[in-house]
Parts: sequence; structure tokens; C-alpha cells
Amino acid sequence: MHELLLYGQVPESRHEQLLKILAGVAAMQPRHVVERHLVYKPQREPEEPGAHLRRGGTQNVGVKFKQVGQKDLYFTQLVQRLSVEDFNKSETNQPGLVIADGESAPESKWTFEFQDVPQPVNENHGVLDRMTHSTEVLSGNVHEYMAQIGNQFVSEYYQDGHLFVHDNIVLLLHRVLAEPAPATTQSTPKERLPSFDSLKPLDSQGTYVLEAKIRLHDRDRKGANEKDAKGTDVMSKGVEELRRFKNQMKGCVDLTTPDRLLLDTRVKYKPKTLAQPARPGQVVR
Amino acid sequence: MSASGPATDVALRPWPTSEKEALDRAELHNKVVQLASERGHLRLITEESLQEEIDTGKDAVEVAVMEGVEQQEEVKSTQTKQDRQKQVWEVRNSMWQLTEWAEHYASSALDLVALVLSRDPTKKLDSAFSPNFKQQLVPRGTFGLDKGIYSTPGQPVNQDKDKDKDEPTAEEKKAMIAAQGSRMIALDWSVDSILNAANEMKKEVRKENKYWEEILSVSRQGWPLQRLRKDARYSPFAVRYGFPEANPLFKSRGFAPLKMDDDGSIILDPTLALKPKTLRVRISDDGRISGTSRLPAQEDESGLAIDKSIQLAKDSLFEEELYHEMSMETRQLLSFGVEMRNTVINLLVSGSGFGARKVLIDCIPREDNLPSGEDHSQDWLAQNIADALRLLLSHEHRMRLLRRMQIPPPLSLQTRTHRQPPLLRALLAAFSHVNAVDSLHSHLRRLVKTLESAGLAISLEVSRETSWTRLTDIIEESNKPDMAAMDQLVDLFIKPLEGQATLSLPSFAFLKSVSSEKLTVTTRTFMAHPTFGTEFIVTLPTSLANVLHLSQDQKREIKFSPPDSTNDVTSYVDWIISLHLSHTLIKDTYGKRAAALDGEPTVAIQLKGPKALSKRCVSVSLNDSKLQVALEPSDFEKQHTWDGSHDDLSFLSQVKVLVD
Repeated sequence: MHELLLYGQVPESRHEQLLKILAGVAAMQPRHVVERHLVYKPQREPEEPGAHLRRGGTQNVGVKFKQVGQKDLYFTQLVQRLSVEDFNKSETNQPGLVIADGESAPESKWTFEFQDVPQPVNENHGVLDRMTHSTEVLSGNVHEYMAQIGNQFVSEYYQDGHLFVHDNIVLLLHRVLAEPAPATTQSTPKERLPSFDSLKPLDSQGTYVLEAKIRLHDRDRKGANEKDAKGTDVMSKGVEELRRFKNQMKGCVDLTTPDRLLLDTRVKYKPKTLAQPARPGQVVR
Repeated sequence: MSASGPATDVALRPWPTSEKEALDRAELHNKVVQLASERGHLRLITEESLQEEIDTGKDAVEVAVMEGVEQQEEVKSTQTKQDRQKQVWEVRNSMWQLTEWAEHYASSALDLVALVLSRDPTKKLDSAFSPNFKQQLVPRGTFGLDKGIYSTPGQPVNQDKDKDKDEPTAEEKKAMIAAQGSRMIALDWSVDSILNAANEMKKEVRKENKYWEEILSVSRQGWPLQRLRKDARYSPFAVRYGFPEANPLFKSRGFAPLKMDDDGSIILDPTLALKPKTLRVRISDDGRISGTSRLPAQEDESGLAIDKSIQLAKDSLFEEELYHEMSMETRQLLSFGVEMRNTVINLLVSGSGFGARKVLIDCIPREDNLPSGEDHSQDWLAQNIADALRLLLSHEHRMRLLRRMQIPPPLSLQTRTHRQPPLLRALLAAFSHVNAVDSLHSHLRRLVKTLESAGLAISLEVSRETSWTRLTDIIEESNKPDMAAMDQLVDLFIKPLEGQATLSLPSFAFLKSVSSEKLTVTTRTFMAHPTFGTEFIVTLPTSLANVLHLSQDQKREIKFSPPDSTNDVTSYVDWIISLHLSHTLIKDTYGKRAAALDGEPTVAIQLKGPKALSKRCVSVSLNDSKLQVALEPSDFEKQHTWDGSHDDLSFLSQVKVLVD
């Protein structure tokens, strides 16, 4: 599945106003959405860029040697859908926090999400385009699962926002919240939710982000009959709809495409610092 | 020519040229013409006359000039020439001026006359005006001319003044009176026009007042108003009364500008002023109308006309949409006996207790006074149907909003199909389900009664619709925070309906216990894939599965599909019970002496004692809720029938009587 994206920034003072405007545009009441995101990273360290290229001569017999491209490693996320009431429940009432217990997909609270690096922006399109994948996790301990398939927990954050649906566009006006305590080296997600009021916006100005998203299926397939082959493919339909929305919101929110590398989800390669060789005479502890 | 001569005496003549010795022919000719014009015909010119002229001094000037010219020619020829030229130019200029003035006066006079005449519209005077005057763009007909009573200026007035200043003449008095009169008329006229303006103003104010009052009242009633950009002068506002989730066809109609009338009240847009319509449901039994739904009551007269008409328009829009959706739906329901005849939707309802019953649905103008049928026995049914249909449509509206609010599926090449709201479908399903369940249940009840009269113990539990029996529980337990209780309630009627009847297998009454083996008949109704009607599913208990020699892993469910599933299932239940009676009850009683015949409710029983080698076949049959036990081959003497009425003889004893 692919996503077409546009982003806009809204100062906190205009948040209320924009909520009303969007409610009018989408002809629906906003739905409050609170999400908890757990960020995971593969345990394996990424290889050095170019490490797969052959260096120097080899003793291989002259067989045509297929060069295998380097595999990138990506950060992935677990998303838990919450409501404000969940934060205020007493300790005993809170269900196992990292346990999914939905019986069907809509009831499932947990989703595993993967997002690729957005593709370079096509000037004709003017929207960000990235590949995504999400899987509903129905039951079981989600953290255990992630650890078992070779991931390590990095950090967690919360997302507080309102959701609108305008035809095919999903609008999310949200901001990122985090716990005010300095990031300690947690190796597992918290077993208990902090109180909602203690969460502070990551941006100290409290700025909101408006995300306009269209999800696509079979992005690259053209229409079955010849007539449809031109222009009516899903991609251009989605781009057209997003662009129309962008024009509609002109003067209200400036929707733009951020630099794609800001949304990079790849794990960066960090060269290992070599241990300093011990000088003679120094006591090696 | 002397310089002292007055300008009036100027004679124009060609500049004298030096005399030539000989004149050529053309010059001579010219000379002759000149002479002729100066002196008359040559014939009259004689020497004497010329001499006389010279003597009398006529044309002496000329001569003098000629002479002078000749004399002074040498002296001051250049100076004279210049002076004369100057003089000539001056004279010429003054002459030009005079002629221009003359022309100006003449054309002014002409313009004046034409302007005076232009009051008469029949005259075409455009060409008469001078171009100069035309440029000034003086409006035509603005100049009036009247015969005055003024005395000629000059002497008479002066004379009057001199006579006496105090006593005006009769003419002056007249003039004064006339002036006074005309002033009064003018004042009168201006007062009138001011009054008119005031009235006009008052009217405008009242008009605006009324318009705003009505706008406010509309707004206070809770109708959403909105500004219109176009044609803002006469209808600055529009009212929105349609349903936000209505079918696109009807959504666009739910909006009308509020225009201002002559007296300020709001006139409605034509769309609002359309004849309001309403839905009518009638029940027809054997072609005779036996019930009509209640038409909306004529509203009371309180409140403004505009509020009422908006309300009416809204109601009408809803009813029309309902009718539209249903008529669209009829196209898919032909096979269920739904058809459209002359804008009336005919719904065939089959069932017991009445003949060919039809539900007729149409959309009629609200004001129509209808001949109310004589028979009102089914009015309740018609009214309930109408109300149910309205509930279903408003439920559909809310569901559309709910669906729209969900995160949409990813865009793909497959176009999403628009689902037809199940209105008639739900109605049909309810009829069909209730009908099928009721006939099944009444059959089972009669069966139970018959078997009980035969000394058999049997229990029956029935429910028409399993979810209806525990409505409140379902709503309380549901975890759909977005859906109101009302919507969840209506939703139950749109989903497949499922009724259940549980029958315990008969056992002998003297055992004082009801068998734990249960036969379940499930009734399921859905007017779409996969059922297309009402179907029955009979679930057999294990003991019956053994009787039917079904293997362990075989499904013990038997499905009866429409049409005519009701008859099929009742006869099947009869057969399976009689099989149970014979193959289980009788066989167990006689133990090894009895042998059951496969697939038939007949048991062959070996006789005891001397006739031990011979067999008697006992057959059990259940038909039309009558239980019959007979010996095979059939023997009228050797049989017994229970039909539900009290009977002393029990089933077992009767069998024993037959066998022994």
C-alpha cells in the first residue's frame, strides 16, 4: 500500500478555529484520536555503506557474480489506539499495557507499522509518496513479539489529535506529546500509562501538524481497458484530489511537502570507533 | 480710387494690366463680354453717350483712377501696391466677419425655432439643428414658448411708470394673480411629492422590517441560514432544510433562496413552493382496500407561513426520497413479487389467514382529499408499515454519515458500489419471516398437543427472532460507541432474521422426564445472497442421526430452501418424529422382537407364543397433526388416530393392542 501525503503547520492559537473549519469542510464532527507509538529498531547494526562492493582482487573463478544490493534496515513502530479515559484509569484497572486482546481487527488496539522513505517528489505531483505497511496485531504480548523477531525498543511517544475524513482524504490534526522526564535508558516500554495531563508537547510552542493522507492500492497499475490507461490511474486520481484539497485550504493552512529525508526511517550507519591501542607502560585495566 | 472714398463705394475690378497693342481673339472676346456687362449692349453705346458720360463725370473716379494709376505709376508703384493689398485684406476680413456673424445669427435663429418645435415629438428635426448646437447636447423639447402679456418694451412701460406707480394696470394684476396661482400649484406639487417619498420610505421600512422578522423567525426555528452571493439584492439569504446525508438527487433540492416579496414577506423559491407530497400505504385484500395509512394531519394555523412551508418542503423531500429509493429497489425485487404499476409499488404478501394480500405504496400530493375506504380493519398495519419505512430511511441516513466518518479503504481501480438501502427488502423479510415462523410454530404446537394426547411427553420452546427477545442485552453489551441505541435497534431488523424452535423428542409420559435429545428448527430470512427468502435448518439430535444411519462426521443439519420451504419443513418434521416413534420408542419397548424398516416409520414385530414365527408390521404416521398407528398391510379395523382431542388410550397401549 502507498500513501500520498501533504503536511501543514498550525500554531496552537489557531487550533480551535481550524478544527471548526475542517469540521465544515469534511461535514463531520472531529474524532479525538490518541495514539501511543513505540519505536523499534533492528538489533543488527547496519553494514557500512559500500561494504558489499568487492574490494581488491578475488580468487573467484570467473563466474558472473551477481552483486547483491545492500539491505537497508528500518525503524518500525507499534501503534496503540487509546482514549483519554485509558490514561485516567486507576492502576489496577489498566489492562496489561503491551498485551493486545482484540478479538477482531476493529477491536484490536495494536498495529504494527512500517513506513518506507518517501520517494523523491515528482514536480508534476507535488505530494509526498511513500510505501507503507500496517498489520493489525490481534492478541498476545506485542513487545515480546517485536523482541523475538529481532528488534530492540528505542523510545515511545504519544500523539494527540483529531481525525476527519473528507472523501478519500484522511485528515489528522495532531501534535506529538512526550513525557517531560528526561529520556532514560528504557529497554522495555512502560507498563503503566502516565497521566494525560503530565504529557507535554514535544514542540514547546504547542504547534499542531495537519496531515492530509490518501491511501492507495495498486499504485502503479493502469486501468484495465485502453481508454482508462491514460490519466485515470489511481495515482493521478489521488494526486488530483489532494491538490484540490490543498487549493481549497489556501489561505487557511499552507500544505506543503517537507524534505523527504526528514521522514527517513532508515537506521543510520555509525562507524565503530576503534579502541585506542594501549600505550606501552600503561596499565590496562 | 481715392483713399478717402468710403468702403461702400468699393468697386471690384481686375487689376489694370498694361495695354497691349493687339488683342488676340480670346482676349478680345473677354473684353467684349466685359464691356457688355459694364455698358450694356454695344448697340446702345454711341460716341455721344460716351462723350456725355465723360462730361457729366460719371465714372470719373474710374477715369481718375486710371489716370492716376497711369500718372503715378512710375512714382510710387510698389508702395501703392502694398497698401492696396493691405486694404483689400482688411476689407476682406471685415467682410468675412460680418458674413460669419450673419451665419451665426441665422443658424441660432434656426436652432431656436427648431428647439421650440422639438416639443412636438412627431416632428423630425434632427437635421435642422446646427452641428454646433448638437454638440451641446441640449435636451430636446426643453424650450418653451408662450404668448406673453408683456407690453412691447420701451415706451409703454415707461409711460406707465411715469403715470403712477401705485396702481397696477389690469394686465399687471392678472399677471400677479397668475404668478401666485402657479406658485401655489408648484408648492402643492412639491408637498405631494415629499409626502409620496415619505410613504414610499415607510413602505420600504415596513418591508425590510417584515423580511428581517421572518428571517429571524426562520432562524429561530433552527433552520440553518446561509448567505447567497449571487443576486444579493433580492434574496441575500437562503435556507437549508434538506438532509445532509440524503441521496445526491435530493440533497441538492434541500436548499432554497429566501426572496423578498412586494410587501416584504418571504416568497419561496419554486422548489419550496412545489406541492408537498406524502407517502401513502394501503393494504389490499383480494383487490379491496382494507386499510390506509394515516396522512399527516393538516397543521394548525399558528406560526408564520414561511416556517410552515419550509417544514412542509422538508417533509415532502423526505417522503419523496423514500419513495424514490423504494422504486429503485423494486427493480431488483421482481422475483419477490414486487412490481411497479402506474407509480404504485405493489408488494405481494403471502400468508395464512388472508387471501391475496397486497401492500400498495405510492406518493401523493399532501392536499389531496382521498376517498377514505369503508374498511378500516387494517389501518394499523398500513400505518405501521409507513412508519417502519420512514424509520428505515432515517436509519440509512445516519448509517451513511457513520460510513463516511470511517477511514476510507485505500483508493483502487475497483469502483465502490453504492449500496441500495434495504427498505422494501426489510419489509419483505419481516413479512416473510413472521409468516414462516408463525406457520411453523402453529404446526409444532398442534403436533405437541396431538402427541401429548397420545400419552407422550414432549416440550417445545420457540422464539420468533432470537435477537428480539434480548434486545436490551444486545444494546447494553454492544461495543460500538459511534452508534446510537436507536440505530443498533433498527440495525437488528436489517440483518438476517433468525428464529428458533426447539422440540424435545417425544418420550413416554410415564417416565416422568422429558428427553434431553432436542430437535432444533432454525428459521433464517434474508432477502439477498445467499438465502433469498426464508430457509429452515433442521438440526437433528444424535439419536435420530443413528436412526438415519448418518455417520459421525456427517453434518446433522438439513436445509430447506425457499420457495415453499414451510411445507417441506413441516412434512419433514412430521416424518422424522414418526420415525423416532417407530424406530426408537416401539423398537426399544419390544427389544429384539422388533425390527425397523429402513427409511420408513414401520416396525416389524415378531409375535410371541405359538405364532412366534409370524410378524406384524406396525406403521406410525404423522400427517396434518394427526398421529396414526396402523397395521400393515392397511386394515381399517386395526388402526387408531389421535388428533389432539382428549383420548384415554395412550400410544404405547394402542400399539400393544394392535400387536397382541
